[in-house]
Amino acid sequence: MEAGKISHLLYRYNSGEANSEEIKQMEDLIEQGLIRIEDFEGLEKLEDQILRLDSPDPSATLDDRFRQMLKAEKGTRKESRWKNLFNWSDFAPRLAFASVTLLIGLVVGYILRSPAQKDEQIVELGKEIGALKEMMMLSMLEKESATDRLKAVSLTQDMDQVSLKVTSALLQTLNNDENVNVRLAALEALRPYSIDGEIREALIRSISHQKSPLVQVALAELMAELQEKGAIEELKKILEDGDTPSDIKKKIQESIQVI
Amino acid sequence: MIKVRDGHLDTLGLLFARYKKPLFGFFYGMNKDAELSEDLVQNVFYRILKYRYLFRGEGDFKTWMFHIARNVNHDNFRKNKLRHKESIENWEERLGTDENRLSEFKKDEELQILSAAMDRLPEDKREILLLSKYQDKKYKEIGEILGCSEGAVKVKVFRALQELKAVYTELEKHI
Repeated sequence: MEAGKISHLLYRYNSGEANSEEIKQMEDLIEQGLIRIEDFEGLEKLEDQILRLDSPDPSATLDDRFRQMLKAEKGTRKESRWKNLFNWSDFAPRLAFASVTLLIGLVVGYILRSPAQKDEQIVELGKEIGALKEMMMLSMLEKESATDRLKAVSLTQDMDQVSLKVTSALLQTLNNDENVNVRLAALEALRPYSIDGEIREALIRSISHQKSPLVQVALAELMAELQEKGAIEELKKILEDGDTPSDIKKKIQESIQVI
Repeated sequence: MIKVRDGHLDTLGLLFARYKKPLFGFFYGMNKDAELSEDLVQNVFYRILKYRYLFRGEGDFKTWMFHIARNVNHDNFRKNKLRHKESIENWEERLGTDENRLSEFKKDEELQILSAAMDRLPEDKREILLLSKYQDKKYKEIGEILGCSEGAVKVKVFRALQELKAVYTELEKHI
């Protein structure tokens, strides 16, 4: 709309002559921002007067009530923090989550545990077989047949670990068995356990017990292999023995030199 | 207000101290009942506390507060419709005659006539003029409170002022 027409409308309104259609036109112009409220005579003044209209002040009671409300709200917050911990609507999903996690844990645990259990069973079974073998070996060593006693000694070679009972039985066999082959087999069976101090000492003591030159030489070679200086004295006793064959003495001499 | 929203409730005391008077003025302008107006101010701050998490911090706090104030006023009006109606019927009885009322305040006659004229405006028109007063004629913000455009607010203010002028002129004739 032209500026002239707007001025004409404003003039009509301010002189109290504007009709309803013209007022409607002015409202449109106001909405579009083409006329300001200040342009209307008297209205701006009226608006300013409204700004100056004073209202009574609220009483001090309002302040007190506000403070009480704020205090109560703070109290509720503290309470609700505790309540929230046990709030069923919050607690239920947490509980469900925990339950599901526990269930998954149990299932996973069961799956992972099963092979371990099997392993344990296998180990247990292995131990039982080992104990059985030991028992068999010990009883076979008592047999009269040298072949059985040889078999008994050879059984120890299949064992991963032997008990003190087995090593004692083997040492006894080495010292007392009447058959040279069985004694030699016992010595061979004891070889892996010669690292043990006690067994080594028993082997050294065994040297003087031996009458068979074959076992004496085998023991001398083992001592040389172990670099066992404690065996020299025992070996020298064999050298001093007049019954010892010269070949054996020579072999033992070599072993002493190596030690 | 952002601090209040984030849990620093004591900060609301500062906002209360700053805005209790304009808020009270708005309600008092609407119902001319000091006790009720105090209740409504309290109600507004209660709602602010209760719904503080809804304050996004994007707009002006005052605008948000008057938005709540307007809802509180409407809820109160609906709740006490019968009582309100009755009070309108006994309006003159409660306030005394125009003459008596005006004679009490001869010092600023014009403002007293204006106040009486405001009281005679329909609620929606009184509301827009009070919002304009307490929102410092920021029509854009008033539009946010009312949910309409800035231009529409200007038209509403124009219409309210027109009617106020007419009532004012009429009252002036009786003096």
